[in-house]
Amino acid sequence: MNRRDFIRNVGCGAMGSTTLLSTLANLGVVNGAMANKSFHNAPPDDYKAIVCVLLAGGMDSYNMLIPNGTGSGGDNGFANYQTVRGGLALQDVNALHNLNILEHVGVRGVTNAYDSFAVHTQMPELQQLFDAGNLAFMSNIGTLVEPLANEADYDNDLKKKPLGIYSHSDQIQQWQTSVPQSRDSLGFGGRIADLLHAGNDNVNLSMNISLGGKNIFQRGKEVSEYAIRNNINANNVGFEGLPGGWSNSGYMTQLRNQAVDNLVAETYRNALHTAYGVNTQSSIAAFETFKKALLKVPSFTTSFPQTGLAEDLFAVSRVMSIRNELGVKRQIFFVTYGGWDMHDNLIASLNGRLPVVSQALKAFYDSTVELGIADKVTTITISDFGRTLTSNGTGTQQGSDHAWGGNSIVMGGSVNGRKIYGGYPQMEIETNARNISNRGNFIPAVSTDELYAELALWYGVSPSDLCYALPNIGNFYSYSAGNYPLGLMNMSGGISTVDQPQNCLTY
Amino acid sequence: MRLTLPLAILFALNSCFAQKTETFGLGHVGNVSVTASSNSPNGIKTLTLDGFLPNHNSASRFLSQATLGPRPAEIENVTVIGEEAWMNQQLALPNSFSTEAYIRSIAQQVADTLNLQDPNREEPYTVENLNLNHDYFDIAWFQGSMTSPDRLRWRMAFALSEIFVASRISSFDNNPYALASYYDVLLEHSLGNYRDLLEAVTFHPTMAVYLTYMNNHAEGIVGGNHVFPDENYAREVMQLFSIGLFELNTDGTEKQDVNGNPIPTYDNDDIGGLAKVFTGLSWHNSDYLGDNTSNEQAYTHPLKFFPIDSSDAYRRPWRSEPDIVDGHDRGPKTFLGQTIPARDPSLGLQDFQDAIDVIFNHPNVGPFICKQLIQRMVTSNPSPSYVQRVAEVFNNNGSGVRGDFKAVLQAILLDREARVIEERNERYSGMLREPFVRYTNLVNALNLTSSIGVYRNDMDEVYEQMGQRPLQSPSVFNFFQTSYTPDGELAEQGKVAPEFQILNSITLTGYLNALAEWLIDNDPIDYYWYGGDTVYKEDEVPEFDFSGDYLFASNKNLPILLDKYNMLLAHGSISETNINHIKTAIEAMPDIYDSNGEIDEIDARRRVALTLFLIMSSPEYIINR
Repeated sequence: MNRRDFIRNVGCGAMGSTTLLSTLANLGVVNGAMANKSFHNAPPDDYKAIVCVLLAGGMDSYNMLIPNGTGSGGDNGFANYQTVRGGLALQDVNALHNLNILEHVGVRGVTNAYDSFAVHTQMPELQQLFDAGNLAFMSNIGTLVEPLANEADYDNDLKKKPLGIYSHSDQIQQWQTSVPQSRDSLGFGGRIADLLHAGNDNVNLSMNISLGGKNIFQRGKEVSEYAIRNNINANNVGFEGLPGGWSNSGYMTQLRNQAVDNLVAETYRNALHTAYGVNTQSSIAAFETFKKALLKVPSFTTSFPQTGLAEDLFAVSRVMSIRNELGVKRQIFFVTYGGWDMHDNLIASLNGRLPVVSQALKAFYDSTVELGIADKVTTITISDFGRTLTSNGTGTQQGSDHAWGGNSIVMGGSVNGRKIYGGYPQMEIETNARNISNRGNFIPAVSTDELYAELALWYGVSPSDLCYALPNIGNFYSYSAGNYPLGLMNMSGGISTVDQPQNCLTY
Repeated sequence: MRLTLPLAILFALNSCFAQKTETFGLGHVGNVSVTASSNSPNGIKTLTLDGFLPNHNSASRFLSQATLGPRPAEIENVTVIGEEAWMNQQLALPNSFSTEAYIRSIAQQVADTLNLQDPNREEPYTVENLNLNHDYFDIAWFQGSMTSPDRLRWRMAFALSEIFVASRISSFDNNPYALASYYDVLLEHSLGNYRDLLEAVTFHPTMAVYLTYMNNHAEGIVGGNHVFPDENYAREVMQLFSIGLFELNTDGTEKQDVNGNPIPTYDNDDIGGLAKVFTGLSWHNSDYLGDNTSNEQAYTHPLKFFPIDSSDAYRRPWRSEPDIVDGHDRGPKTFLGQTIPARDPSLGLQDFQDAIDVIFNHPNVGPFICKQLIQRMVTSNPSPSYVQRVAEVFNNNGSGVRGDFKAVLQAILLDREARVIEERNERYSGMLREPFVRYTNLVNALNLTSSIGVYRNDMDEVYEQMGQRPLQSPSVFNFFQTSYTPDGELAEQGKVAPEFQILNSITLTGYLNALAEWLIDNDPIDYYWYGGDTVYKEDEVPEFDFSGDYLFASNKNLPILLDKYNMLLAHGSISETNINHIKTAIEAMPDIYDSNGEIDEIDARRRVALTLFLIMSSPEYIINR
């Protein structure tokens, strides 16, 4: 036996039954047999995805969705808007993109203060999506523990309020958890994954995929995110091989990977060792699955702009395109696009960022049409908070400060679009009962819970499991047949009656 | 690597101790077996008056906590002089390096080359008019960390940069001076006093911009707008830099009210009260409060105090009676149960001193800050008694001084819980090494050396692959939060493991791919082109020199190589089982000898590189304990 044969034999023996792939296969069988297959009998095209776009920093959304009535029919919103926003207001009402609104949908007795609305001059794509019925706005939505009607409610110590209103760290977290009375909560996306992940055929791969690294939104008790980069393809997932110039490079790469596998698969007495080992193993398992599946990504005719946000969303489309290869029927994606904390230079900064959002969302929607899953994908934007109506300075330096309720986007083929849900505030500081400061900070008319409950029911969370997904939901909504939190989603596919074992959460 | 042969043989003999879970080294530890602590072929090693001298593994472990990565010669030194003597030497060393000054020296070089290129330029380039990118800070940081003898200070400064967080992911995102000047403050006070640090941070423009109290204004009507003091710094200075959210016992555990609930340290009224203090500060060269005409280098000067706001006189000079209003808030300021009395704004600087004193003297500061320092250097889950011992030293260094970082560092690093892993703590001891610290480990353990003593390294790979580099955290909440715990046993047991927050599929594979670049490709430095006519200087981009290890890369000598790097990188913590996993892979490679019996340097280098790669992939290396 020459030396090379010897090496090969030793190597193969060592790899034997503990190779990564066989381990994976075994895991798959075991988990598959034990998993609660809630979608097991579902048709193969039963796929649903939620895409959460975090606009980190607190977007000034009162310059995204703008009342543009100019007096006819008593709706004089644009004058209100210009007066209160002063130097922060867009000046040319005709340059805004008027929305062809089908309906204003109030929530718990509060409705939009105006009839006519437009989107910012730099967001024509949003207007197209809206007018085509594939996009809706939430107006004055924000974090709430329970409904607060006015300043007296806000000042009432018996009413529960979010921790750290106006604080980035608290509000950005609470938009992701929807548990604003706690700094120690799982995320909404993580909790619905806890409920539903067992229904995916391949439970080795997290159903929560992040383009934004670790995040709270996707963190559940049993599921947390699998992070990818937006340039993901079959060649750059996982470990790079050893250089081609090495003797037996491919074989040595296998041996190296085997050694890494062995190191992380050992049994350790120290819990941190174990935690690191488990993390590494699941990452390796996931990227092996991913690598194979990514070979099947089709070419897209939809073209995406060359912005970070668009590239992130394009990666989401590519991953959704291989949902069958990945063996998943439910996925939740998380994308972040930051830079919205515009304490100064707001007009120019928004001119830079709003078109990025508008164009990226349009391309993403078009790609879901191309994949034939436009009605199976719902995209929401979230942000830390709305911003003050009034300005904090003069000239080009002026911007707005941290506030509370704001406006957000819901997009997808199953969205009952061309509607604005919520209670867009009267843009007056003195007379608006929901205003709680002389800067124009509004108590939200709609809670994140109501938006998320609507999404959860559409997504396949049963009404009785809502209290796990959204611990505060009982303060806003209780289910009865045909009665939905907002009427935002097309529920014609029916809602799930399969209850998962998780108990209600309380904080 | 230029280790001598006898030393390497010593490691080989030491291999039988590789699996020992107890680590020895400090004399006042009771009930230890003297023979087991020895790595000498003759059995018992030196016994000094205050205890045992550490063996190589113990010294390596100590230095893995006390520095950003032990170097071979340092380990040798600690085995000879002991940990306490090393600490005393380090604590006596002056601050030896300024990242700001280093950046200025590079800027001068760049300006010179540009002026040589264009000698007739109307306005010649100078350090002052040259705008530099943020990478210059990273280059300066790396230069300082590789060349400064005060290594304990550098370890402490990095820990402080993760508590007093300011990050380039902000409006000074491309300004090396903002980063360097701030980091220099951390370096300066790392072996000083907490209160001085808190004051220096408060008056630093980098923090003022980062947490938005630059040009912060007393409550009042300005330009027709009712403005309020920005609350950002008031909130974060309490939540993150000093006392935390809940009242603590000296041992770091949370106090509880009669219902068993934690007791908040402050509420929104406290924040509002404290926010009034942080008003009236602007750039050193501002003409008035609200002036924002500063340049890149204005970040290198402490803030200037403006009791009044005369901006209207500057902005609307045509007005005969400009609006002159208070810049600094004149009212009383109540927070944390104390009230700073109303004062004329002209006396407002005293408000800052008073407020910093109130915070500094809050009983939470000791346990809150000390526990985090322990977590950054030693272990994620220190016992309450360990936190208590250190916090008591923070409260009083023995000479009645509160906040003495030198005493705190001695208390942290020489504590028995840092020096010895006891059986009962074994399951949750240790910490995940931060990705960035793994990188500094590597370049130090392998003695990366520039022949001219100058490095040009913006450390881009470590950031690109793992998202960590000094002063580049995503938010004021650092790269990871101290309360983070991964799912599973740690969470169930109420333990934390903060660094796991940045361990995900990207950073995990990114780490292994970065290791491949650094070791397999032997490319440990990310060269940054300065611009102008500066030329590529190969000497500034050293590679690792593996040649001293070639002999040990043969199948026969492989145990020597493994022991050596197990000691240098993992202080011998990698188990025999895992050493065998690594050995199996390396032995499958072509042995180092060619057909003439000479060492094939390419094969030998590959073996060494892959050995190091696998050691640094082992969970026993990744978890430092």
